[in-house]
Amino acid sequence: MSGPGVVFPRSGPAVMADDGDALTFCSTCAFSQACMSEGMDKAALMDLHVLVEHVGPLHPGEHVFREGDPFGAIAAVRAGTVKTYQVDRNGHEQVLGFHLPGEVIGLNAIHDDRYPCNAVALDTVMLCRFSFPKIALLAQRLPNLQQHLFRLMSRDIGVASLFARDNTADERMAAFLIGLSRRLAARGFSPRRFQLTMSRTDIANYLRLAPETVSRVLRRFEQDGLVHIKLRDVEVLDMQRLEALALAVLRD
Amino acid sequence: MASLSSLFDPELLRRYDVPGPRYTSYPTAPQFTPGFGEADLRAVAAASNGDPIPRPISLYLHVPFCTSPCFYCGCNRIITRDKARGTAYLTRLYREIGMASELFDRDRDVEQVHFGGGTPNFLDPLQIAEVMDVLRRHFHFAPGARMDCSIELDPRFITPAEVGELAAAGFNRASLGVQDFDPAVQEAVNRVQGVAQTLGIIDACRAHGFRSVNVDLIYGLPKQTLEGFSRTLDITLQARPDRLAIYGYAHLPDIFRPQQRIRAEDLPSPEQKLGLLRLAIEKLGQAGYEYIGMDHFALPTDELARAQREGGLHRNFMGYTTHAESDLVGLGVSAISHIGASFSQNPRDIAGWEQAIDEGRLPVWRGMRMDEDDVVRADVIQQLMCHGRLDFDAIGRRHVIDFREYFADALARLRPLQADGLVEVDGSGLRATMRGRLLLRIIAMCFDRYLTAAGGSAPLYSRTV
Repeated sequence: MSGPGVVFPRSGPAVMADDGDALTFCSTCAFSQACMSEGMDKAALMDLHVLVEHVGPLHPGEHVFREGDPFGAIAAVRAGTVKTYQVDRNGHEQVLGFHLPGEVIGLNAIHDDRYPCNAVALDTVMLCRFSFPKIALLAQRLPNLQQHLFRLMSRDIGVASLFARDNTADERMAAFLIGLSRRLAARGFSPRRFQLTMSRTDIANYLRLAPETVSRVLRRFEQDGLVHIKLRDVEVLDMQRLEALALAVLRD
Repeated sequence: MASLSSLFDPELLRRYDVPGPRYTSYPTAPQFTPGFGEADLRAVAAASNGDPIPRPISLYLHVPFCTSPCFYCGCNRIITRDKARGTAYLTRLYREIGMASELFDRDRDVEQVHFGGGTPNFLDPLQIAEVMDVLRRHFHFAPGARMDCSIELDPRFITPAEVGELAAAGFNRASLGVQDFDPAVQEAVNRVQGVAQTLGIIDACRAHGFRSVNVDLIYGLPKQTLEGFSRTLDITLQARPDRLAIYGYAHLPDIFRPQQRIRAEDLPSPEQKLGLLRLAIEKLGQAGYEYIGMDHFALPTDELARAQREGGLHRNFMGYTTHAESDLVGLGVSAISHIGASFSQNPRDIAGWEQAIDEGRLPVWRGMRMDEDDVVRADVIQQLMCHGRLDFDAIGRRHVIDFREYFADALARLRPLQADGLVEVDGSGLRATMRGRLLLRIIAMCFDRYLTAAGGSAPLYSRTV
């Protein structure tokens, strides 16, 4: 079998983005840990009027927000994949990142009053939206939540700078796959089997490679027995070697 | 490999002589619906470009015209002697090629081109070469060694010199219709074709470096006798085509109108028909041919036979092929495309196809998107049709299912076939027996969700043998 975990983006009991209820959080909620360690449950949050709004399903190509929209909320992905991107002066799209279940989008809008990028659903996407002023207010009372927010923000910056450095195409692709694998594993998905919900052009853009190079590198990975790829399905066959290759980018 | 004669079990062939799909696709064409249109085709093509390693492209071009009607034919074709119709058809076909090519990224190589019909050589070699030029302008062809370029030929309407022109245009495989050399049979089916003429075309294909020549024969035709068919087989086998297809004639005059001109009393009985098949299998076995599957045989040196031994055989609308899965783009009237997990078909009526092209639309008549279950079953049926065996763990692993649990009902349906010795099942997989291999589609039918859902009231398929 493919080892533990559900093959992303399928769902199953282990990764179900359930709605939670009055007392429990959505299992994928990025904040549940922070709040719970403060001894706050959903009821307590409701008392504070920090209501979480469930948004979706968004269909492929639907935007969560667009660059320049007034900033009011951050959102956590409950299901699916959200791509964030900017469009430069020449009209060229630049992919900033892919956000998987449990991850937060909109953090980079905090220092401004407007979203500095676009966010679009790549497949069927469900979100939790938090009013940011209310979350900020809450964070003042919950140091743990504040820390969590800072951690999320710094991780976001870290991800964006990953591929700015001088790495080979193979190293970047390996780091991309290892990154996805780790992030999915953290959410209970299979680290070895997953689907690439983003297109070849998006991957290429994100890794600063030509689309043909993405295919060429992956074909070579296949020949070398690192991965097996069929349509959008990826199976990591040799995690150790792939990780070794990714090391130059990930450095941990 | 065991002797071919163990393929033939008359008792089983009689018992399982029921209509069934040929599984050039799963789901089969009757499942396509008009709900799938041009926008869907554009969407699936765009998605196919987004695959991390986009598949190579196979092109199928349909030439619907025939100069004269063969009475046995169940194909979608137009009988005409008016060559101007071919010219008008090509004008629109070029527009369709242009529109279709825009759907695909530039780095997607074409690895396979096939001209089918009708009669592709209704067009003259200059016209066919022109189609190839148009294709090359719009698509990127893989290097010659990887490129398979095949054409169905009616030997009555082509000369050896013209075969050379086709080779120069890039063709390297041909399939020749023969059916039967017996003059009485040829007259009864309205297809009079000389032996020397036919052998001359096979020789010409060889002389011009074609990688393979296939010959189609049909058993069960009117006036066919063991003696006559035996001579046909001897003549054919002496020419040693790389591949041979032995089709069973299905007499369905209510569906295929040209067949109304065949007199039912001229047809061989079911027993005689089985005798003809037995004869063919024996002779092919003696001549050293291997059984590929369905109606197809090949020399052990042929790529198909090699691919089957190595587990690399595939099956699509063009039949058996060595090409790993590709996105298939069908061009021309009635042509079927298979892109990603979708099927789509062009209008079967020429007027509908022409109108779409004239309005600048991609001519999509009907189609379907496969769901996850379709994808799993398509894999199972492909494995069966190509290799006659299933490895439960391998399939389970590919699709993240527990095979025995997922297919519990299919395995139950297989039990009578097991009892009859068509198939052997154990904990790790299943395997068609030698006797079961001629009845592969009966085994495959057990995995067909749409047949079992229909409660056995199968749509109009030809009989299995």
